[in-house]
Amino acid sequence: MKLRRLFYLSSAFFLVLVKFTIDVIGKNVELEMGGLSLVRELVVIAAFGLLYVVIDAAASRRESTPVRKLGFILILLVIVSLAGLLTTLLGVAGFDAKNLSLVPLDYPTVFIGSLIALALGIVALVVFRLFRDLILINRRPAGRRNYYLFTGLVLATALSTILLRPLDAALIPGILFGLAMVFAVVNSFRLPWIIYLTKREKVFTLVYGFFLFIGFVLIDVMLAGNSFVNRALLYYSHPLREFVMLVSVFATLYAGMAFVSTLFHLPTAEAFDRKRSEVSSLHTLSKLVTQVFDFNELVDTVTSMTLQVVEASRCWLEIIHVAGEGGAPGLPDGAMGYRVQVAGMKSITQEEIDLLVSPEGPGIREAVMKERKAIVVDDLAKDPRFPELKKQTALAGSLVVVPLISHTGLSGILYATKKDTFGFVKDDVDVISAFADQATVAIENSRLIRESIERERLFREMLVAQEMQKKLLPQFLPSIPSLEIDAVSTPAFEVGGDYYDFMDFGDGRLGIVVGDVSGKGVSAAFYMSEMKGIFQALGRMYVSPKEFLTRANEALASSIDKHSFVSLLYAIIDARSGTLTIARAGHCPLLHVSGTTAAYVRPGGLGMGLSRGAKFDGAIEEETIRLKPDDVCIMYTDGVTEARKGDDEFGYERLMATASEARMNSASAIKTAILDTIKTFTEHRANDDDLTIVVLKWRGPEQRGERAQ
Amino acid sequence: MSDFKIAHREQSSVNVLELKGYLDAHTAPKLEEAFQNLLKTQRFKIVVNCKELSYISSAGLGVFMAFIEDVRNNKGDIKLTNMTPKVYNVFDLLGFPLLYEIFKEEQEAITRFFEKSK
Repeated sequence: MKLRRLFYLSSAFFLVLVKFTIDVIGKNVELEMGGLSLVRELVVIAAFGLLYVVIDAAASRRESTPVRKLGFILILLVIVSLAGLLTTLLGVAGFDAKNLSLVPLDYPTVFIGSLIALALGIVALVVFRLFRDLILINRRPAGRRNYYLFTGLVLATALSTILLRPLDAALIPGILFGLAMVFAVVNSFRLPWIIYLTKREKVFTLVYGFFLFIGFVLIDVMLAGNSFVNRALLYYSHPLREFVMLVSVFATLYAGMAFVSTLFHLPTAEAFDRKRSEVSSLHTLSKLVTQVFDFNELVDTVTSMTLQVVEASRCWLEIIHVAGEGGAPGLPDGAMGYRVQVAGMKSITQEEIDLLVSPEGPGIREAVMKERKAIVVDDLAKDPRFPELKKQTALAGSLVVVPLISHTGLSGILYATKKDTFGFVKDDVDVISAFADQATVAIENSRLIRESIERERLFREMLVAQEMQKKLLPQFLPSIPSLEIDAVSTPAFEVGGDYYDFMDFGDGRLGIVVGDVSGKGVSAAFYMSEMKGIFQALGRMYVSPKEFLTRANEALASSIDKHSFVSLLYAIIDARSGTLTIARAGHCPLLHVSGTTAAYVRPGGLGMGLSRGAKFDGAIEEETIRLKPDDVCIMYTDGVTEARKGDDEFGYERLMATASEARMNSASAIKTAILDTIKTFTEHRANDDDLTIVVLKWRGPEQRGERAQ
Repeated sequence: MSDFKIAHREQSSVNVLELKGYLDAHTAPKLEEAFQNLLKTQRFKIVVNCKELSYISSAGLGVFMAFIEDVRNNKGDIKLTNMTPKVYNVFDLLGFPLLYEIFKEEQEAITRFFEKSK
């Protein structure tokens, strides 16, 4: 790419040299006109064509603002003018007009004339190329068409003079020139880029436009008259002169229009700038709100943007924690029930904030909290609503206070001050309100995120609790000769209040406890684990169920709160003799299935934790039943009998029927049968209470003979 | 399912709470509130009519336990009446008849208050 440009450039240079040689020879020798003059023009056209390609490539490569382009043209113009001025000081003989042709009077005239023509030609090319960018900046079809028509007319005008002698005039080139001028005027109105300039850029445009206008007017004047420059161009190449002339006239118009147009836009430039920075900062903010979860960073952005956009002198944001029923955290027993957290302070200290907004009691803060809309204090010294601000005129002249209102209520307040009184116009308040809205969203977001993190944490804690509670239940079923055992326990929630456990006395006797803590969830789970401790500690010491329950009640009653209680069924089975002794602390009765008969065994009793001492002890009864071989005993919690389908409960009858039907099977199969029947009954809905089943099946007295084998 | 309602009326200085529907962990706070309101206004003679109570869970039973001590310390009582067999079974299973006076009819419970106060 670079090589190709270099090739173009050197080719152009070569062609220029050729042209110069022809001119030098032409000065000495009287060459016949016609053929050679055409060759001269073609060489010039080719050279400028190549130069245009190089300029175009250079211009396309560089991203530049309209103002920079104007500046660049101005610099180019100044350089060329200075150079031209210097060469004219050299004093050349000039041209002699003869028979509509120009004859250079000496060699320096040829040389200097060629240089001037080349320089102006190149400037015209650059201007032509750069104005193209400006005019086509937003590409509306009509604008493009006008521009291309103008370009076409310029080129046509230039080419139409290709065989014309320097001082000759013809009809067609004249008409084309006129048309080109019309389109130059049309295109000079294409200044869409001016509106979007910043105020600073507009000032520059104004200056550039002015000097460019002057510069091009001078060129126009020179080209129009009988100046050396005009003659040099005409002598060098008539088409080039037409091209330069048209471009210069167009540039004059365009620079003039740019100047005038900018002049008109200048008064509104500031407002336009502000609007633009408002839009862009709101855009930045709303993007930040959705992307950045660092709350402090967001608040900082909100306050610093407020400072910038409305040109406030101080700004800060307060987050208001309104007290719920239990009061805001860290809140002294305040009357209003809110706590203020200052964030994003800009050019202000906590002490100064306290001076403006009294830390307690009525003031502008409580006023805005009450009114729930922006309050503007135009003059701190004279506002009757807030007399306390009178003394603070050293801090600020005017003050705006905007509440942050979300759907859950007031979440904060945004403050901005200016040194001047009446510093805030309506627009400022609107902008600050818009920022406040963004801040509200940010605060809301961060609150939601905090909450969801907290929920997640709780969820994990519950999973841990669930794991731990599972470990509180027996990990293995005890293995006792001639006894089949199976058990299941499923909590309704993550953790539950059901409990079962075994105590192997090691001599063929096994203690089985099934319990249910009132309520569900975490509190139930705590008492359940306490129950486990009590059972493990006392169970081994007291081999009578009644005694165990009375001791356990003593232990539990001291720590259980008054509306909680534990129901417990404790059975000790002697697998050697087939006796089962039970005591019941308010728990569901034991289901005993013996052959074709089944019965609930329900000794008297009272729930643990309901009463202490004698009343409880007196209520507990102990009952012993003699088992027959293959008798089945089922202990369970109310999750079984109260399993529900609509208003209907699974109940004692269904449990008894299911157990009776399955009694010939193994303990494990009986347990499964009960679970399946419950599931079918509830139509597989999740159990809404904890559910526990323990099934015992006594195989009959152990055969000593069998064991010996 | 967790439909539970309480109606309160006062009959010759005895406060009758009529319970209706399901009393479980979700609805227990309603009953708690009702008891709290009675205690706040120094009304300690309470009869709970369970005629239309269709279900009570352990959390529901716990509510009675939570207030009985306070009520009795203030020379009042909570008496229960008109239970359906199913509801009575739940109370009975836990041994509540040992702790509370339970009557078949509301009027019996009310009269009982006056027998004592005479």
